[in-house]
Amino acid sequence: MEKFKTISSTNQKAKELAKNGAGPWTVIVAEKQTQGRGKKKSLWYSPSGGLYFSVVLPKSNIEDLQTLTALAAFIIAKTLKESFGLEPLIKLPNDVLLNGKKIAGILTENVVGKEVKSSVMGVGLNTNIESFPKELEKTSTSLKMELGRKIDNSFILEEILKGLKEQLKTISQ
Amino acid sequence: METEIKIGDKTYKVEVGEMEKGIIRVRINDQDYYFSQNKFGELVSVDKKQDEQVSCEENGLLLNGLSENEIRSPIAGVISGIEVKKGDEIKQGQKVVTLIAMKMENEIISEVSGVVKEIKVKKDQFVNGGDVLIFLD
Repeated sequence: MEKFKTISSTNQKAKELAKNGAGPWTVIVAEKQTQGRGKKKSLWYSPSGGLYFSVVLPKSNIEDLQTLTALAAFIIAKTLKESFGLEPLIKLPNDVLLNGKKIAGILTENVVGKEVKSSVMGVGLNTNIESFPKELEKTSTSLKMELGRKIDNSFILEEILKGLKEQLKTISQ
Repeated sequence: METEIKIGDKTYKVEVGEMEKGIIRVRINDQDYYFSQNKFGELVSVDKKQDEQVSCEENGLLLNGLSENEIRSPIAGVISGIEVKKGDEIKQGQKVVTLIAMKMENEIISEVSGVVKEIKVKKDQFVNGGDVLIFLD
């Protein structure tokens, strides 16, 4: 696991590492992203306090990766429910909502030639974010805002990674 | 092969022909029906459109890089970015197109080196697995 105080994007870093031969389950975690993003270059608000990480995934076929994205949403939702008694909703395949507002996003990025060369999955989870800019206020929430207390990012990270590894077994041979 | 079959007082014009990939087309009057052999050698009815799609998906990952002078899309999706332009010299392993498929972002890389001769796709265009994206010189 590589930890960063600030990074442009954990997915970007994970992709670089994967290209240079980093093995599966290499994890990049950052306290803050300056260019955290979702699909089509949309930005993911990534100030200090949130949990931002990317995982280099084992090589598998592209359909399995899609399943894994949905499974990651499920694992995040399950972690939030079991650890905090919350009732999250999954907006398939890659968003998790709490009270109708976005609390987590997942972006899986693959490099594909003749076969899948590398895959990384990035997760942005709004954990200890105090407030959102005006344009996100109505559509985003955080665990701190919902629970009224600070939560342990490394605990959630471990839970999600454990879940991902467990679930990947169910879709790979 | 073309023939006419009479059943009761109705006459049917029947035409049987073999299409590509071992698909047999039976045209009755103006309606087409397709059949192909399954793995047990039995002739089964197939939806040709669906069959084409399935074959593309099955072959998708193999198609990219089969030819030295073209880059094909390994999967179906929507082009979200074209990273090269006509005349560019590209190297093996270089990213050429970004494709959104199944809510994932996919960098399509070239398996060969060459010069971009023609770009066959546009941004926001939907492509099927196996479609040619770029011709190389």
